Amino acid sequence: MFVHKKNTTQLTMLALAISASVSPVFAEGYGLQNANREKANTSKWECKRCVIETGFNGSVGVGAAYNDIDDIHFANASGTDSDGLVGHLDADLNNKSDSGYQTTFVANKLGYDIGSARLETGRIGQYKIGIGYRGLAHYNTNNALTPYSSSGDNLYLPSNWQTGAVTSQMPTLYDDARNVELKTQRDRYLLDAVYKGSFYQADINYQHEKRQGKRTFSGNFLTNSAMLAQPIDDTTDEFGAKIYFNGKGWLIGIDSSFSQYSNDHNSMIWQNAFTPTFGAAYRGQSAVAPDNKAYRVGANAQLSGNGHQVLMYLGVASFTQDDAFLPATVNGPSPALPKASLDGKVDTTDMKLKYNSRVLRGLNIRASYDYSDKDNKTAINPYPQVITDSYYAGTANNPEYDRTKQQVKLAAKYRFNREIYLDAGYQYDHNDYSDLDRDRLRQNGVFAKVNYKISSDWSTWLKAEFSDRTGSAYNPITTTNSQSNPYLRKSYLADRERQQYQLNVSYSSATALSASANVRVSSDDYDDTLVGLTQVDTHGYDISASYLLSDDIIINAYLNQDWRDSDQAGSSNFGLPNWYVNTDEKSTLVGAGIDYRHLLDKKLDLGLEYSYSDGQSDTEVTQGLSSPYGDYFSEKHNINAFAKYQLDEKIALRLDWIFENYQDSDWLNQGLALDAIPNVLIFGDMSSDYNAHYVGFTFSYEL
Amino acid sequence: MKKIAFAQIVSSAIAKSINITVKKALALLALVTMLAACGGDDGSPGNPGEPGGPPADEINALNITIREVVFESGIATVNYRITNETDDPVVGIPSATYLAAQLLPQGFTNAGNASQWQYFTSESCNSSCDGEFIDHKNGQYSYTFSGAFNGMNNIAFMPGATQRIVIKVGGDNLPDGTDLPITNQHYDWQDQGSEPAYTRNLIDMSTCNTCHNDLSFHGSKYNEVETCVTCHNVDKVSNPGNVFAPMVHNKHLTGFPVPLTDCQTCHVADETLTENMNWARVPTMEACGSCHTNIDFPSGQGHPAQVDNSNCVACHNSDWTMSAHSQANTDAVLGQFNAEIVSAELDGDSVNFSVRLSNPATNEVYADSADKLTFINDLRVYANFGISVDYTTRSAKSIKLQDTTPISGSNGVYHYQISGLTLSADPVNDKGALALQGKLCSDQTMLANCADSDSTTTLKSSHQYFSATALTDQGRRVVVTNETCGSCHGDQQLNYHGTRNDLEGQCQLCHNPNMQADASAANPAASTADYKHLAHTLHAGSRESYPDINYPGNIGNCAQCHTTNDSGVLTAALPLNNAVQPLAFNDGTFTSATSAICSACHLNDSAMAHMTQQGGVFKGTEADATAGTESCHTCHGQDAAVDVLKVHPIQ
Repeated sequence: MFVHKKNTTQLTMLALAISASVSPVFAEGYGLQNANREKANTSKWECKRCVIETGFNGSVGVGAAYNDIDDIHFANASGTDSDGLVGHLDADLNNKSDSGYQTTFVANKLGYDIGSARLETGRIGQYKIGIGYRGLAHYNTNNALTPYSSSGDNLYLPSNWQTGAVTSQMPTLYDDARNVELKTQRDRYLLDAVYKGSFYQADINYQHEKRQGKRTFSGNFLTNSAMLAQPIDDTTDEFGAKIYFNGKGWLIGIDSSFSQYSNDHNSMIWQNAFTPTFGAAYRGQSAVAPDNKAYRVGANAQLSGNGHQVLMYLGVASFTQDDAFLPATVNGPSPALPKASLDGKVDTTDMKLKYNSRVLRGLNIRASYDYSDKDNKTAINPYPQVITDSYYAGTANNPEYDRTKQQVKLAAKYRFNREIYLDAGYQYDHNDYSDLDRDRLRQNGVFAKVNYKISSDWSTWLKAEFSDRTGSAYNPITTTNSQSNPYLRKSYLADRERQQYQLNVSYSSATALSASANVRVSSDDYDDTLVGLTQVDTHGYDISASYLLSDDIIINAYLNQDWRDSDQAGSSNFGLPNWYVNTDEKSTLVGAGIDYRHLLDKKLDLGLEYSYSDGQSDTEVTQGLSSPYGDYFSEKHNINAFAKYQLDEKIALRLDWIFENYQDSDWLNQGLALDAIPNVLIFGDMSSDYNAHYVGFTFSYEL
Repeated sequence: MKKIAFAQIVSSAIAKSINITVKKALALLALVTMLAACGGDDGSPGNPGEPGGPPADEINALNITIREVVFESGIATVNYRITNETDDPVVGIPSATYLAAQLLPQGFTNAGNASQWQYFTSESCNSSCDGEFIDHKNGQYSYTFSGAFNGMNNIAFMPGATQRIVIKVGGDNLPDGTDLPITNQHYDWQDQGSEPAYTRNLIDMSTCNTCHNDLSFHGSKYNEVETCVTCHNVDKVSNPGNVFAPMVHNKHLTGFPVPLTDCQTCHVADETLTENMNWARVPTMEACGSCHTNIDFPSGQGHPAQVDNSNCVACHNSDWTMSAHSQANTDAVLGQFNAEIVSAELDGDSVNFSVRLSNPATNEVYADSADKLTFINDLRVYANFGISVDYTTRSAKSIKLQDTTPISGSNGVYHYQISGLTLSADPVNDKGALALQGKLCSDQTMLANCADSDSTTTLKSSHQYFSATALTDQGRRVVVTNETCGSCHGDQQLNYHGTRNDLEGQCQLCHNPNMQADASAANPAASTADYKHLAHTLHAGSRESYPDINYPGNIGNCAQCHTTNDSGVLTAALPLNNAVQPLAFNDGTFTSATSAICSACHLNDSAMAHMTQQGGVFKGTEADATAGTESCHTCHGQDAAVDVLKVHPIQ
């Protein structure tokens, strides 16, 4: 049964997502740089010329704008998808007492979907308590058309809906289709506190995030499918605490976090728009991401002295979910499930060991060992497989997908003289897997980088990397519904030779101009693959420069282009390759800007930024005959300009103008009507093509 | 410079044409005119360099080796060589037909669609040519099509697509009168590289010819599958039922000698055919619907509505299709069970025998006797005696082992008795036969308890000979084998009377000379169920109860069914084995054995008069019919002047 498999996968995916979001182990407090800073006598860094003002100061602003939303994609630029007149509040308030207490309130675009606010109070260098809000939004499209409307877990068709065997036989489809917005809004509330003692620091933080919106979902009945706007209503709570102690040449700490995901939806239930293929499949039900929990505890230690430094980390984490299973099918009697819920549990163990040393004058060596183990402790059971709520197809066991990753790195950096140094190293990766086509992957890699400081203004470096990946015998797994072609090598498990080269040149001088350029090229050769991804070549470059025309005028410009060319081979007769795919991808980003301040007797500041971005992907399938796929691109011109005029000492008026010309298209839906595909009820053409403006005025008042 | 070279080529080509094809002046003039009309086009190929060698003096077979297709300005020239069976060049082939078609790859016309041939043209050369024909006089030939393929038959030539050219020669003779056998040869090529990027090689003609003999169509001109498909496609035939796959499927729907559900009867697993598994991997409504004729896919009759082929494989993946349309499950089940008679002896008018049941997959015996094994649906043993006279009775005795408690036995070998045999005159020196048949309860690939499963798998029947005291390998003469029958009927897949499929040795226990013919029948052999007469007349389509039999091969090819004896001589040879009995009639008369057999087919008055003259007895007394007066083998015996093995079209 698909939904049960999905449960496991979603747990894993969610667990990974949570782990990524809450466990940046070295993000704050324990990183190498931070640790070094702890040792340093920061009092000597004090800004002698900075004048710390005490008392209450700051500014508040109120803004009104005209937002031209025909296509909600423009809201990614303007920050809100409300059409017409919109308003927002800004604030930057600061109160500081002579005794060192400080309270700040910062608000930015409050009132927009992407608004934020934060209130912070505390005593500098001792403690700090903060409370905050931040809105995040992503707008996909409002061009999607669907006859479904949603309520709770249910997606309904109109009461007079007439089903059809194929989409063209649904007589009321076009009358019933309505636009639906595909977007997500996240409201994030934060509460955090930090306390610093003489040789220790303690942090706690709590975050509550509510997410709402709609995303694309595919509701399948055997060979028929409908694109559905799945409602998203869920919350994530995260709690973190850490404490660390430090002294001369050492640092130890404990870091822990707990997170809980709660989905307001228990399942997703939709009516079948098609005449059922078999039996009475009038509605479908699919599992949604289950409620789940994760916790993590990590311990850090760091020792340094005499040019040697040792860093150790040990962390364990556990991810669990135990949501009740849905029945294997809602159409007809459901086969018995082996358990009422998954009782899923995945434990991870991570260990890192790093050593740095300055062996000789000019010679640094470093070595590290990383260990990461994922152990799925969920009981393995035979689950009934009811193919898309339609027919029973035996049972299948939930796979484990355990893995253990180990990595060893050895590197040395040698400084020949003040101008040139060489950094070179070796890296060995060793991965063990279960339930994949290969049990083990091994990769050997080497790199070398030469830095050359040509002059006081010019510097350059060149880096080359090479790695070779191979592994145990490739035995296609037999647990999948249909067998793999015996010549297929999945790209993430295939033998691979990788080469990467990068050249960087930068210019920075005491004069007005600074510039840099970077050229890169890479090649992945899947040298043992007959069917599958066989070759990926990339190349690209960046150029950027900024120029200070005068004290008041700065201009900058950048240009970036990347190409990626990948080759795949396939077989239509389950044997050696007889068709080939070439995909050429290209991205361009070019922009320029000018900042002109202190015009009109220092009352007027002007800014103008222009950017152009273009991404496209061209795919061609060749089997004797060549068949190119259609358009797949997005292209954007964006102008972002402001003018700020100081009406008097306290009051300023700011004008913001955003203009965007945007176009995208995907051949998967480009130009397609709702009933263009007989067995898939689609959203129709979701391409965007718009010119949109945002014009806003903000009054700000200095307190 | 170019012009001169071209002129030389043309004149040399004309000269060769004059020498070789011996055209009449008028035809030559036409050729010259035609070549002249092509002036300026330098697409004419030069003389292929390979030395010819001496021309063939005897031709039993033609080999056409297509060396290349030269494609210039959209016009194809095919260069090929024709030799005889010993690779000697054949010069002066007087006529040929050239077919051209293009293949669209699988999924190209729509997701799920099979690859599809598109007919361009058929051009001929005999007294005149549609295109340009050159006999290089050394076994090498060239043919340039009359124009560019692009646009012919309203089909666009697609660069990179797989192309096919078929050359048909033969059916006529060389100027010296040597007959040329009809020969088809295809060549797949493409214009943008060496090898075609994709193919459609599903079936080889030799598979068709296991049951058919030398199958050919359209006046015997076309005798290869690769030829048929160039025309039998949607772009050429006006009736969709004549597209190759639906046409062939449909033609085999009635009278097919094996279960239609076994696609691999024709779609054999031959790895040299790159697309041999298409039958399971590329299900389409056209291919599947040609057998499942009660389904209308677009309107949803008999199957959920499907407007095109894009979804078929979503449900009918190759594993599913193979399990439903091949012998794989049956083979898997049968691989778990073997029944064998391990001892037998005569005891008065009874036969005592023992049976051993085992699992070949595990090499273990089934410890229980058949009556206690829950997966046995039916397991019967039949017995008859008197091999010397081709059995003593048409009513073989039998017992059902699943209902019989064995007399004794243990650990996989159990003893039984069949009583009431009809003994022959000298039973101590005669022999008998036991035959074994049955059904097993099964579920997919596994044996199953009969209480849990309704589906059954039929055993391959077998027979075992015995003497008065022991088993013996030497029993009744072997005339046909399960293998020869299987060339059309599959490996013991033809079941009669439920589960009897050992056509080699089981049927004869009842279908023996004790069966009687109708004395009033026009063709007596077609009225008796005696095995030899039954088999001959059934396949010849002369039995009233099987009026629709349409024998797919050449009925005179005795070797299609008859096997060879230990000396390698076909068992159809004369004289007959001594055990062969005369044909018995229901009025008490008899026809002598050889005459009875021959007259099953050769039943006109003059044939019967000839047989009578040579000692044959028709409807005489048993004594006359067995007196040995037939002298057939004097002339028709093995190696004699008109040996039956020579006068029949045996292959």
